Amino acid sequence: MELAAQTMQLRGRVTSAVNKEPLAGVTVSVQGRNAATSTDQSGQYALEITGNRATLVFSQLGMRSSQLVVTQTGIYDIQLQEGSDELEEVIVVGYGTQRKGDLTAPIATVDMEEMGKRTVSNPMEALQGAVTGVQIVNSGTPGTSPTVRIRGVGSFNNESPLYVVDGMFMDNIDFLNPNDIAEMSVLKDASGAAIYGVRAANGVVLITTKKGTLNMKPRVTYNGYVGFQAPTNVLKMANAREHAAYAIATGNETFVNNSVTKFGGTAENPAMDTDWYQELLRSRALLTNHNLDIQGGADKITYTFGVNYLDQDGIMDAKNSHRKYNIRMQTEAHVTDWLKLGFTAHFNNFHNYSPDNAAFRQAYFASPLYPVYDPSLELAKPEKFGSSTVIGMPSSFWFANPVATAYYRNDQTKGFQILPSAYAEIQLWKDKLTFRTQWSQRYHSTHNINYQPVYYIDNDQRNNNSFLRSAQERSTNYIFDNLLTYKDGNEKHHWSVLLGQSTREDRWRQTWVQANDVPESEEFWYIGVGAQGTASATGYGEGGFRNAGISYFTRGTYDYDNKYLLTATFRADGSSKYQTKWGYFPSVGLGWVLSREKFMENQTLFNQLKIRGSWGKLGNDGIQPNAGYATVFSGNNYSGIFGSIGTTNGSRIPGYRMSKFFTHVRWEVVEEWDGGLDFTLLNNRLSGTVDYYHRKTNDLAFERPIPFSWDRVYGNWGSVTNSGWEVGLQWKDKKGDLGYAIGGNLTTLKNRVNDLGGLESILNGFPEWSAEFPSRIELNQPINFYYGYEVAGVYQNQAQIEADPIAKTYNTQNPDNPILPGYLKYKDQNQNGELDEDDRVNLGNYLPKLTYGFNLAMDYKKFDFSIALQGVAGNKIHNLNRAMRRKYSQMNADAAFIKDLWTGEGTSNSSPSAQGSVAPWNLQASSFFVESGAYLRIQNIQLGYHVDLAKGIPARLYITADRPFIFTKYNGFTPEVADMGFDANVYPIASSYSLGVQVSF
Amino acid sequence: MNTVQYILLAACITGSFSLAGCSKFLDKPLENQQRSEEIDYTNTAQMYAPVSGVYRSAADDNLVHWIDLSIRCVRDDDFQQGAPTPNDNPELMAIKNFQSDVTVQSYWGLNQSWNSYYGLVIAANNALVELDQFAEHIPETNAKDLARNRQYKAEVRFLRAYAHLMASRLFGDVPILTDSEDIGSLATINKSTKDAVREFIIAEMNASVPDLEDARPNQSEHIGAVTRYSALLLKAKAAADLAGNDNSSSYWDDVLDATNQIIGSNKFSLYEDLYELFKIKGKLADESLFELQYSDFGLGTGDIVRPGVDWGTFFRWQGPPGDQKGSPISGAGWVPPSQNIVDFLTARGDDERLKATIQYCGEDGNPATFATTPSGDEVYGNEFGVKYFNGKAYLPKSDMTPGRMEYGANNNVRILRYADALLLNAEAKVRKGQNGDEPFGLVRERAKLDPISNVTLDQIIDERRAEFACEWWGERFNDLIRTGKAKDVFGAKFVPGKSEFIPIPQTQIDANPNLR
Repeated sequence: MELAAQTMQLRGRVTSAVNKEPLAGVTVSVQGRNAATSTDQSGQYALEITGNRATLVFSQLGMRSSQLVVTQTGIYDIQLQEGSDELEEVIVVGYGTQRKGDLTAPIATVDMEEMGKRTVSNPMEALQGAVTGVQIVNSGTPGTSPTVRIRGVGSFNNESPLYVVDGMFMDNIDFLNPNDIAEMSVLKDASGAAIYGVRAANGVVLITTKKGTLNMKPRVTYNGYVGFQAPTNVLKMANAREHAAYAIATGNETFVNNSVTKFGGTAENPAMDTDWYQELLRSRALLTNHNLDIQGGADKITYTFGVNYLDQDGIMDAKNSHRKYNIRMQTEAHVTDWLKLGFTAHFNNFHNYSPDNAAFRQAYFASPLYPVYDPSLELAKPEKFGSSTVIGMPSSFWFANPVATAYYRNDQTKGFQILPSAYAEIQLWKDKLTFRTQWSQRYHSTHNINYQPVYYIDNDQRNNNSFLRSAQERSTNYIFDNLLTYKDGNEKHHWSVLLGQSTREDRWRQTWVQANDVPESEEFWYIGVGAQGTASATGYGEGGFRNAGISYFTRGTYDYDNKYLLTATFRADGSSKYQTKWGYFPSVGLGWVLSREKFMENQTLFNQLKIRGSWGKLGNDGIQPNAGYATVFSGNNYSGIFGSIGTTNGSRIPGYRMSKFFTHVRWEVVEEWDGGLDFTLLNNRLSGTVDYYHRKTNDLAFERPIPFSWDRVYGNWGSVTNSGWEVGLQWKDKKGDLGYAIGGNLTTLKNRVNDLGGLESILNGFPEWSAEFPSRIELNQPINFYYGYEVAGVYQNQAQIEADPIAKTYNTQNPDNPILPGYLKYKDQNQNGELDEDDRVNLGNYLPKLTYGFNLAMDYKKFDFSIALQGVAGNKIHNLNRAMRRKYSQMNADAAFIKDLWTGEGTSNSSPSAQGSVAPWNLQASSFFVESGAYLRIQNIQLGYHVDLAKGIPARLYITADRPFIFTKYNGFTPEVADMGFDANVYPIASSYSLGVQVSF
Repeated sequence: MNTVQYILLAACITGSFSLAGCSKFLDKPLENQQRSEEIDYTNTAQMYAPVSGVYRSAADDNLVHWIDLSIRCVRDDDFQQGAPTPNDNPELMAIKNFQSDVTVQSYWGLNQSWNSYYGLVIAANNALVELDQFAEHIPETNAKDLARNRQYKAEVRFLRAYAHLMASRLFGDVPILTDSEDIGSLATINKSTKDAVREFIIAEMNASVPDLEDARPNQSEHIGAVTRYSALLLKAKAAADLAGNDNSSSYWDDVLDATNQIIGSNKFSLYEDLYELFKIKGKLADESLFELQYSDFGLGTGDIVRPGVDWGTFFRWQGPPGDQKGSPISGAGWVPPSQNIVDFLTARGDDERLKATIQYCGEDGNPATFATTPSGDEVYGNEFGVKYFNGKAYLPKSDMTPGRMEYGANNNVRILRYADALLLNAEAKVRKGQNGDEPFGLVRERAKLDPISNVTLDQIIDERRAEFACEWWGERFNDLIRTGKAKDVFGAKFVPGKSEFIPIPQTQIDANPNLR
């Protein structure tokens, strides 16, 4: 530190080297210091700094940044070249920013311009295929969030990454519109994410919303599109003819005969042929989105204001839609030269109508032999829906009329969310020591109303009394962050230290009431003692939770001449959720920028080359809050009835039940190390990253089934490792008027279970089906693999059955129900001549071994075109939809299933006969139901045209197709299956086609 | 830095640390989940609550689940089949045919049954621990409350023993679970032989009988709770199982003694009208020794306590299938009575029992026709060829609360009744060379049949079949096994030593290999 307070007065003008125009809004910062300013309208800047030597950095997005070493007061004019400067780019990292060149962690930034091209309602959907290591699984229902997995599955509880929106922790970002986002960074590994400690085990997505810049003329941008969605890849179910032949072959000819008698046709060709999916789906569902954005800044204040509106109909032909509008404002004021104050608020308001997704399952099951509407049913009211009972099939829940199920559902949710946050930044000591304090809150309130009217279709599909359920939920969360940052440096050395402390609390509360006999008009949908309707002694309840946390964290960075980089972080987290309250999460990262070394000076191959490595520990707080003590269930639902004698009605005597199974739960801790390479070659045209990651989750917490009970007990039962490679490459070039960019990314994943706490294995599975179609967790195998018999072929004739020891043994024991030709042949793994529990093997797993994405963008004169593809490979899906035949043998089948059936000797060696397909022998857990889940999907195609509406008002017209094509062999609606890979009841994915316009002035 | 800035820095740092300081901030219990520590064990008025919870558990689900019902029923010759259509749950027919291969072992229904019975056992074990906690807070001098505590424990032990009996009658050698707090032990516990299970039941009942109330269940402090005589009957049934077909077995003494006590109390009598016994008027009659109670509180809609889930209650599952034109007398049509039992009852001229047990789905099951029940309900036929539905599960519209459309709403599920004690008493007497005419005659008389003198064993067994026809607890099948008549009735497909029991579900073996 100098004794004399020597200062330098620096000013000058920044212009563009291309057209000599002054550049406004260029950030002028001092390397290693907190000081920064930006150029005004005429490109002028002025800065006063201490010392007698400093490096000024001039940077702006879209221009190559420039550095200038200054040693005295003076005027310094600079010209900036066009282009991008990858390593100078400033990246948002945890609790601050860093130059991309200084990163020791593989932090992926998302190109928001590319993201803006996707017409999706949830910003995370737009990431599909764009970032290495990130797998997105979509659900089709409008208004719901996709499943996001970063680097495999390291936890059962919460696969989602932590979203940090302007400092506020969120669990999902579906309220945001992609247009609102200025920067999105994905922190994938320990050293990048460890600063978020307990929440960071699944990765962190940092989002900063758009802000104004100083001295910027107000800029208004409008971006809107209108289009429609259409269901894609709709599975073809068997038509009447195929279904009739199948029903006859499986012993259900009464249904066919009844249908022919009532509706005409012949047994080979019945006249009634209902295509349930076609009846249930809309061919066109409207989608429209409008966004208006104003950004600007004066000398000491920046502001931004945005409004957007989204209206999306669902593809089910029933009341289902998603409507939301957002208002966003942000302002930052430089009150004095050492105090900055800022305020951000998001206001989000939405109204959703949720469809009954069970209707899709029922459409899968429903027989084409009865009609949607049947005027001949006298008792049906208010609408004359058809019923399967007229052809003799019992209806019950599974075989209900799907169109009726969709029609009689009325489930709406209205809500709003406010996220205000305020911060103050104080410069305590020239531009070295800064203190920042931020208070962020979240108020979220929803009201859900579910009404079922009185209706009658048949004995089983009926509702005798109308039913109303009204539930109100409120969430109030807050985070209070305090950060102290010290940045300093001299010629060659630069360092910074961050000290931080954070307090947070999440509260959620729900109040619900329900009643019967509520009138049909929406105005009367109230429940209470004086209201319409009959209340019930068990028709009300409340639920809630409160979680709190305190953290202390610190980060130190050091770099020597921008060549040798070191980052170290440490965080201590306390959480109210567990019995072991505190966790400690360190991390360290190292980097070496080879391209700045002397020995690299003369080579021309690499423009930039950096090697980096990191190690760290992260915690997972997303697991269920654990009681850690026995809990009591009391009240009306746990009280026995006594006194039910003769004509006297029984009444309750208060009772309770104890749930004694509990454990002490510890944090899940992920230990990760990562090594990688960042490079750009060939004059910055080719850039890429290569990473190897290894993540071990210790104390994996999940619910384990226990014998003797349906209860599952939650605890830390094992550890799992995810490892693999991530490779990303990008080529950008311009030849004359044609500019093009080609990029690709690829992630491999190897998942292994290391430890099960002494147990040999744990059985798991899709909740109601885990006994019939189990999945298994075993040491040294991928987690939750499908466990069953391996199909070795089909018995083609009786001689083969006699010759096979397994079949022979079974037929001797069960002469009434023998194995016949056309039945599946299972492999006898242990060669003991009998099919038993030891013949079950690992049939595959739902985690893709390879996830990849590919994109191509071209621009020529006023046109631009881009196409993005995304795919996975190496994963398997259990077709639970087909496997449900085990319990529901009268269900319909998809056309491909019927076509593949064995019909005689030599016709198939992988599918059973029709008769066999309903025999329990062929409906066991086996590889017959496990299919490859690999797919390649064209994610997005866009064509745009630039036009000037008037002078200075550039506009862009574009047409987009989102998810237009998918290539897959899987026999289901979509190969994107969440949870453990059991495909049941999935809402078909929709593709959307839209026309939009973007104007800024 | 100037002074203002120093002050600000100090303020910021202290402010942030003080707000974070409170460790209480992290230490609160979970919201909305009552801790067990908050139960006031000194309040003896609350002492029955854990017991009430166990009764509710048994009534909600553990003893009446529709698939457990179907598996228990389908094994004997009183019931025709499982589901109305052949391909629906074909494993039930496999069980009916005494198959025990992999498809049966992986059947979800068996796993449900296992979890149902043991779920009740675990609930009972937890309630006993609770009652122990209450007992710790009762002073030695308060003999009355100590006696009540012992009585409540005995009630819970009865329910636990009954669950073990059901599990063992289905699966044979099963574990005896008296301590279920330690999850680790659940995963390693060994099986006990079926004989050991029944000896456990007898021992438990011997210990419980002195503590239980000397009253009928419908006279009990909590109306409908189990009493001394329920425990005695359960003991007699376990002893009869152990005695098997051996007339010289000492267990017949136990049977005789226990049933003599029940009869000798003079508290029980057979309900006059067998048809009405199973309807509303017959709820908790003087004949009842163990009954699961339900209520719709006299309301046409809203609050109701029912045996199972709304689409699959115990009653609805046995209701007549097909298009019943909006009538509440309708159901899924599972486990219908067999032609065999209809013929058996007709051949004996047993009209009262035919009326009580068998109801008709139209004329011969024809969907275009209807049959009128003795209570005046019109029941149509169906497309599946199902001709009969269970009369003992039938509740007429006239008995239902006005406005209710749920078949069987407000009716109870009868498990143990006095007729069983009388017939066991007669059987024990006859096997020991004594005369069993008196108890036997009472049962005959109620069924409006002529008395038999010097009744033989075979006549008693036949009378048991007729009296308990189509009741849901596996009695008929158990009677055939213990009297050695199973092979005669079922023929070649019944293999003695193997077909008596169903294999333990594969899922349970995977969770605890000692169950193999």
